[in-house]
Amino acid sequence: MPPLNMVQAINQALQQEMQVDDSVIVLGEDVGVDGGVFRVTDGLLAEFGPARVIDTPIAESGIVGSSIGMAIAGLKPVAEIQFEGFSYPALDQLISHASRMRSRSRGRFHVPLVIRMPHGGRVNALEHHSESPETHFVHTPGLKCVIPSTPYDAKGLLLAAIRDPDPVIFLEPKKLYRLFRQEVPEGPYTIPLGKASVVHEGEDITIIAYGSLVHDALQAAESLSEKYKVEVIDLRSLSPLDKDTILKSVIKTGRCIVVHEAPKTLGMASEIIAILNEHALYDLQAPVARLTGYDTIVPLPKLEKYYQPSQQKIMAKIHEVMQQ
Amino acid sequence: MIHEFKFPDVGEGITEGELVEWLVKEGDSVRHDQALAKVETDKALIDIPSPQDGIILKLHVKAGSTIKVGQTLVTFGSKGDNILPQSQSPQEHDSVGVVGRLEVSDRIIPSPKPAVQASIPAQQMKILPAIRILAGERGIDIAKITPSGSQGQITKQDVLDAAAGKSQAIAQQPQPANPSGQQPEVKIQMKYDFYGPIEHVPIKGVRKAIAKKMEESWRNAVPVTHMDEVDVTSLVNIREKEKEKAAKKNIKLTYLPFIMKAAIEALKEHPYLNSSKEEDEIILKKYYNIGIAVETEDGLIVPVIKGADRKSILALANEIQEIAEKTKERKIDLADLQGGAFTITNIGSIGGVFATPIINYPECAILGLGKMQERPAFEGSKLVKKMILPLFITFDHRIADGAEAARFMNKVKESLQDPDWLLLEL
Repeated sequence: MPPLNMVQAINQALQQEMQVDDSVIVLGEDVGVDGGVFRVTDGLLAEFGPARVIDTPIAESGIVGSSIGMAIAGLKPVAEIQFEGFSYPALDQLISHASRMRSRSRGRFHVPLVIRMPHGGRVNALEHHSESPETHFVHTPGLKCVIPSTPYDAKGLLLAAIRDPDPVIFLEPKKLYRLFRQEVPEGPYTIPLGKASVVHEGEDITIIAYGSLVHDALQAAESLSEKYKVEVIDLRSLSPLDKDTILKSVIKTGRCIVVHEAPKTLGMASEIIAILNEHALYDLQAPVARLTGYDTIVPLPKLEKYYQPSQQKIMAKIHEVMQQ
Repeated sequence: MIHEFKFPDVGEGITEGELVEWLVKEGDSVRHDQALAKVETDKALIDIPSPQDGIILKLHVKAGSTIKVGQTLVTFGSKGDNILPQSQSPQEHDSVGVVGRLEVSDRIIPSPKPAVQASIPAQQMKILPAIRILAGERGIDIAKITPSGSQGQITKQDVLDAAAGKSQAIAQQPQPANPSGQQPEVKIQMKYDFYGPIEHVPIKGVRKAIAKKMEESWRNAVPVTHMDEVDVTSLVNIREKEKEKAAKKNIKLTYLPFIMKAAIEALKEHPYLNSSKEEDEIILKKYYNIGIAVETEDGLIVPVIKGADRKSILALANEIQEIAEKTKERKIDLADLQGGAFTITNIGSIGGVFATPIINYPECAILGLGKMQERPAFEGSKLVKKMILPLFITFDHRIADGAEAARFMNKVKESLQDPDWLLLEL
């Protein structure tokens, strides 16, 4: 079995689940004839036909709205939003309907829906194409939100998301789409939603990251391995959040840096630091630090490296926190 | 055996080139050192030799494209090798999006393995930062406290209890208790170093201020010192004649007020020496506030005579005397230390011919007086006794040049050599 990149792993997950479950429907802009702007849905139209692989108009609110209807009626739509920054017209559908249908109907209806979208920047693309909107989803009760950092996790998390009875936002770090390959089991498997992964073990400091920055954190950990034993946690699931794994690690190390591309204010780091404050304050050896984007719109490509966290910035931050 | 060949570092700082032409095609058998392609760098057109014998499975770039050092050019294999069997390899296309640049690579990352978290004990002492500081202030070793908090943390009361126990323990000991409860700071100071006995003197107070001021001057100004000698025989005669009269008025008539006057007349002609530099501007001072360097027990202090141009020589002598006394007694007002534009230092009163004073930053210049001495000199062909005063001025070369300093000095000399003329100018 050849190693797959993330695009191929997601494609394989969709293909395999569509083969075994007729209720799985793929829809979105250019997902059919073109096979998706990043080729994630390539080949699906040919195999499953236009009734199950639907090219939609450029209308995100419509894509998500009709997906909600299909889901309530018993289908399992997997909708693609072409870029994360185009999800905003669909926020009303997600927040006002998808997330609360189970609550609103007192459990009579539920919405087994997956919304896939590329995530994050560091690929020299303009604003809507480089954003990190996860806070909107994580802050909305009733939505789940996951983000893989490897082809293996991408396949396992997507299958778990499709099989989940409630709406799941599936973020795909676009920088990682073709950045590397990995051995991925040929058959279907799932990775439970809500479980973080300790991807590098250490005793001195915990770096919490997700998406493409997991790899920068890993490189930082390797580069500093002679000086510090750095533990790296890949959250994988932003909602629900795996508090147990976070707490276990930080209580062990006593030091923590949370890293994300999204703007600083009310980003994932804010919540994680609050959780550490509630449950691990007495174990801290230094204030919990965060390394994030700025509270601005993603800049033009020339300035992107200054805006985004990176391996170098993570290493500098580790030095800083270890000095305290 | 599949092997990827990357564009090698050909040296001379070359990082990229244009692949002009392939000299082989996919499926070809090549020998070690056989030319694979012509590549044009900004230095030369070069042939890229094959690193091995083998079969070309794939050429990764098109002729005419730019290649970077480290980029994969060729995949080699042996007979029967395939790169990725078509039957197994999902077909892949480039993105159709026009936004962004996705990096593509075939780098393999390791497969996930079940994480086994090593069991490391949690950090020993659980304690809030504020309480940790409190414990430090009270000199309590928190490792010896038994925590009573609900999460196993040391509470404030734990620290206070420990402190109470500690002060009792101290009270029982013969040595006096530390009234504030604070642990004195222990700083080990060696009385010897490798070569012999030494003493540690902390830098503080006036010494600290001087150090800071001198550093600031040395870091910022560009000092040059100009030196000269003045025949002050006539001036000495005047002073000898008048000092008794001044003494009756309780005024100690020194040479300093004369020199101050002469300097002010010279500053009027050379205003850039009575100035300071602020960023892109030179601030010319239209007033003549002259600082005088006064030695005190604690170090050098420079009080300022304000409006010295409007005061008589006797008034200046009186004021210099007063202000110097106050300074030595450290009773000088802060206001009397500020507002200077030019400084005079009289190191000659202690000794020495010439020195190179440091500018009293941000002023432009400082005038130094050496020790006045009798010297033989020629007047025509006759050898006569003269009183000679060495003068030297350090100035900031960013503001003024040597010529200006020399002319300033000539003017000062002129006035001091002929004090009658100085009198007419006042």
